[in-house]
Amino acid sequence: MSANAFISNEQLAGLVAAVVASGTRVIAPVTADDGTATYSPINSLAEATLNGALPNPSLKAHFLPPTETLMSWRQHGSDIEIGSPPDSFAPQLVLGARPCDAAAMDIVDSVMNWDYKDELWNARRDATTVISLACPGIDDSCFCTAVGLGPDSSRGADVLLVAVDDGYLAEFATERGAAFLADNAQFFSAAADTAVAQADESRAAARSAVEANLNVDTKRIEQWVGDHFDDEFWLTLGPRCNGCGACAFVCPTCHCFDIADEQSGVGTGVRRRSWDTCQSNVFTVHASGHNPRGDQNARYRQRINHKFYIYPSKFGDVLCTGCGRCIRACPAGQDLVEILQTIDGKAANEQEGVA
Amino acid sequence: MTELQDLAHKLLDEGTVQVVIGWEDSRRGARPVTITDAEDASRLIFDSRCVHNLATYLNPRRSQVRALGKPAVVVKGCDTKAVAALLRESQFERDEVVLIGVRCGGVVKDPTSDGVLTEETTAPRCVACDVREPRLADYIVGEAQPEPPQNTSLDDMVAKLDAMTPDERLEFWTAQMEKCTRCYACRQACAICTCDRCVVDKTVPQWIERAPHARGNFSWHLIRALHHAGRCVECGECERACPAGIPLMLLNRKVQQIVAESFDFTATDDLDAVQPIGDFLADDHEDFIV
Repeated sequence: MSANAFISNEQLAGLVAAVVASGTRVIAPVTADDGTATYSPINSLAEATLNGALPNPSLKAHFLPPTETLMSWRQHGSDIEIGSPPDSFAPQLVLGARPCDAAAMDIVDSVMNWDYKDELWNARRDATTVISLACPGIDDSCFCTAVGLGPDSSRGADVLLVAVDDGYLAEFATERGAAFLADNAQFFSAAADTAVAQADESRAAARSAVEANLNVDTKRIEQWVGDHFDDEFWLTLGPRCNGCGACAFVCPTCHCFDIADEQSGVGTGVRRRSWDTCQSNVFTVHASGHNPRGDQNARYRQRINHKFYIYPSKFGDVLCTGCGRCIRACPAGQDLVEILQTIDGKAANEQEGVA
Repeated sequence: MTELQDLAHKLLDEGTVQVVIGWEDSRRGARPVTITDAEDASRLIFDSRCVHNLATYLNPRRSQVRALGKPAVVVKGCDTKAVAALLRESQFERDEVVLIGVRCGGVVKDPTSDGVLTEETTAPRCVACDVREPRLADYIVGEAQPEPPQNTSLDDMVAKLDAMTPDERLEFWTAQMEKCTRCYACRQACAICTCDRCVVDKTVPQWIERAPHARGNFSWHLIRALHHAGRCVECGECERACPAGIPLMLLNRKVQQIVAESFDFTATDDLDAVQPIGDFLADDHEDFIV
């Protein structure tokens, strides 16, 4: 199957119906009455709103849920019965993922398979086929092109769709995607040249629209952040920040979690992991009471460091897909586009100073 | 708004304060700003997009703000009720802060919007506002403003919830609670959430389940609402901050209605007022005691 496969709106509805009928869960953006969207299970394509409002939470919630059980225990006299989480998940299909959300999966795979292989993350990844949809861009907080991605990036997706008149062009990005298209070949046909031209045009238009929002050199930013841990710039970012986890929890790449036991009676309980955030005071406070990140200046610096210096140094990827959710969610107006622009400017000035 | 900028410039220049906490214009609308250089005072604005309750920046636990020095804070009348609550609870002394009151004609819910006040866009806190000209202030700036459009949808929704059966109400709130991911944006945006260590952060023993499931979320939000009984100034910042869109003000409004009925107390900028949660009166209602 080449990059020039076409699927009409009707055939896509048929494909979804067939996948649902086969018992595979299909997850797609669904818009609620209040206009907000979530990635939710659908039974038919009609329930989905492709390229509508940006879903919240991001797609990560289907791979690293806000909370999940790691183990359970039940005491029987002197015996203890230990319950384990599932080691495999039923197949599922994500349809209409934003390219920024699909890319996040691939980026976070690195840390989930570093010294420890995260079984639950990997099992959900293994069970899931991701079909993303090229995005027209949302608003002036989008900056995927500035972090090496793009509104039509296929990274992290198995298949990328691009909207054209009456349907979509489909291209596979992985072997799994190629197999999916081959297995469902009856829904696809050869694309007309006009559709290919239309897709190329819309992809280019979306790219240039997003590029206009932010254009920075992430390598230069990585170096500046790494070299300026004690820079006074960080003291300007903390005062505005409320120190909540809104930015981290809407972020498709933030993946920190806390583990806590919950007793549900005498001798029974569950151990859960739940999302956590470096923006919280208690994230780093020691048992002694000392906190190495004692104020919001230090905590916001940590957020930028982890995303634009530590993670790239370790895994070669910026821990950010430019989705802009943190900017839109921040009640205090903290603006990552502006912050990256400022750091990039400082880095550029230093480069020129050296040259 | 040169009057505001000139005053801020003067206070910084003469060293009366070291930082002015106010609002500035940004790429995405109005937002809080800390001004430490008198020359930057020209960045200060006040208009209908300045919805943020800046009293929250006076929380003494915000050490990164404290480190900037003695503050002047720009406050709307409604924000002065939060300042008064903090003063009544001895979070700081009155002479530790300079209050720059702004005459207000109402604010919108969304500071990134164009700021046009309509029945739909006006913040619920502006309904029946009695402090459009602040009283608890060292300076008052700006022209007197007309009354904003009035919108009773919050009270209407509280009444609608009151009219539900307990099962219907539980269903409504369960659906809302399932959306919470415990980012604590509500707590962090709140001007009166000033506990050194929030009860939800205490895990030995664990009083409230920290995992974001409906049961733990109910515990968290109800305990928070009850701790704010007679303290909440109904600025609505918790609800505005919530990335999950949970209508937290329905809880807060209901609790404050009960406080008003039971203790004849509503949020006030009066520093001598007695807060029900912090005081015992011999003639307090005791009809709840069996």
